[in-house]
Amino acid sequence: MAVKYLVLGNSSAACAAVDAIRENDPEGSITMCSPEPYNAYGTPLVSYVVKGTSTLETAYIRKEEWYQRHKITRLFGPGKAGVKLDAAAHTVTLEDGTQIEYEKCLVATGSVPFTPPFKGLPENALNRFTFLTMDKALGVNAYIAKLKEEKGADYPVKAVVIGGGLIGGKAAEGLAYRCDSVTVLEFAPRMLQAVLDDKGSAMLQDKWREHGVTPMPGYTTELIYTNNDGTLVTGCNLVQVKYGDDGKPYTEQVGSLECNILITAVGVRPNSAILVEAGAEQGRGIICDKHMATSLPDVYAAGDLTSVHNTLTGGEAPLALWPNANAQGRVAGCAMSGDMEHTYNGSFAINAVGFFDDVSILSCGVNPRDNEMDQYEVKLYVDEEKCQYVRFVCKDGLLYGYILMNRPDGAGIYSQVIRERIPLSELPADVFERPIQELDLPMYFRKRNMRKGFDGGEA
Amino acid sequence: MKRIYAFEERCLNCRLCEVACKTAHSKSGDTFKAYMLENALPGRVHVEGDNQLSVAVNCRHCSHPNCVSGCISGALSKDPVTGIVTCDTAKCVACRTCVAMCPFGAVTVIEKAHKCDLCTTGHGNGDPACVRACINGALIFVESDEEQVKAVEDNVSGRGL
Repeated sequence: MAVKYLVLGNSSAACAAVDAIRENDPEGSITMCSPEPYNAYGTPLVSYVVKGTSTLETAYIRKEEWYQRHKITRLFGPGKAGVKLDAAAHTVTLEDGTQIEYEKCLVATGSVPFTPPFKGLPENALNRFTFLTMDKALGVNAYIAKLKEEKGADYPVKAVVIGGGLIGGKAAEGLAYRCDSVTVLEFAPRMLQAVLDDKGSAMLQDKWREHGVTPMPGYTTELIYTNNDGTLVTGCNLVQVKYGDDGKPYTEQVGSLECNILITAVGVRPNSAILVEAGAEQGRGIICDKHMATSLPDVYAAGDLTSVHNTLTGGEAPLALWPNANAQGRVAGCAMSGDMEHTYNGSFAINAVGFFDDVSILSCGVNPRDNEMDQYEVKLYVDEEKCQYVRFVCKDGLLYGYILMNRPDGAGIYSQVIRERIPLSELPADVFERPIQELDLPMYFRKRNMRKGFDGGEA
Repeated sequence: MKRIYAFEERCLNCRLCEVACKTAHSKSGDTFKAYMLENALPGRVHVEGDNQLSVAVNCRHCSHPNCVSGCISGALSKDPVTGIVTCDTAKCVACRTCVAMCPFGAVTVIEKAHKCDLCTTGHGNGDPACVRACINGALIFVESDEEQVKAVEDNVSGRGL
């Protein structure tokens, strides 16, 4: 088959690109391919599906009507992942052998779980899940339901989550609503180590404990136990991470854990093999120009698999966050359909994560590593009773980043201060100790905000 | 599209807009009942500041809204025809990405994302309730082309009087 626009992927970036294409080209043929059988859903919602507050039916980000209105040919389901791209011939081959000729191709295939080899972990254990896709969330729910059906409603369901980052943390939250015990192992000395520092993380961990999740920072596993035929994980050994005099970590076995659900959420990596094998230039992710064009002719990329210029630090790395995927997808779709006015000039992190309806963590901009902290002026406001942990990092008279745990008010205005490089000297002195307001912004700026510039701008 | 514009020069900090919004979005549509009986959600417009300087902040219904592009659940959307940005609370998971994304602080989360709908979801007629309630011309509802806004701006600042 031959199409004008071929889109590999069906999530935030892919859908934003199709929206942009249709603004410029109402009729050009569009085919979307995805190995997942569903219309686009909010990937971060998989934990809410386990939690029980979202379902496959409520988690969609584009309705059936959207696909029909945009006249999209859908090749969704097993076998529909793109596996080979021939940039010279302008063809993509899918896993099931289907060959598609395109005029413009967008690769928006996101991230895939990265699982280091764990000794003893069988490839296809029935009760071991990664946690990035709807199928995994539905699989967890179905497995627990089956277990309860077979063994009785009182049968204790024990979950172990390997990895205490955003994905592991959200998995643990969801599992807490279905399991009798949830234990999270994290190699690093704290949970959400990339988002929170020791103090903030300690407060979060207390909240997790209140809700039945046991955080075990500084612990991991090196051996997975299974039943005789290797179809089920039954537990894992428990090792403690220690640090030698040279600062290098080493591990020491301290015990073992039983479980009947194992989640591996150690990390993600760009799902970019098809582009890399086709010869696209890559750094830590696929390298794109300001129109999201890759180094291959007529091939574009958007979302988690791309390398992003960090506008605050100057760094180049993937920024696997939802708003960024959306912004990149839109620019790619514009360029693919001939609108070269919009460009993507880099971004920075804005993220929100919540746990158990009583912890909300908003973070934005630079989040210095522990050993970079001395380069920044830190403003810290902690109220343990309210579980409030608020940290701003500033440098050279500018705001570079924030963490707002349980103090969300004005977060978007702080984001704006970071994005627009508004000098702190033009803001009231108490603008961090209490939530910022529109009226705190300099008059020239807020008038522009309130009356002009309604385009909204990119993230 | 027609949008609400707020003018701090004319705002009296009376907060009638907040009252009108809460009333308009209440079940009964009655101010007394909304406040005293229904435990209705707060208004979707909020007045910042004090008697020295104040302004009513509400959603700008951006052309390419940051809140929508950040929304992980598909709850926030911009109507392709009317341009109005609304939240489908049945889909919202209250993650607050929208709160971190909106440059105006115009989205809050009260159990679910809570924002201005320009009184289009069956609550008002004609101008949004906050605009009708404003007694000093600090909120206006006009087509958002630059000339119109400029004319009002001149009027507000006294240059056009």
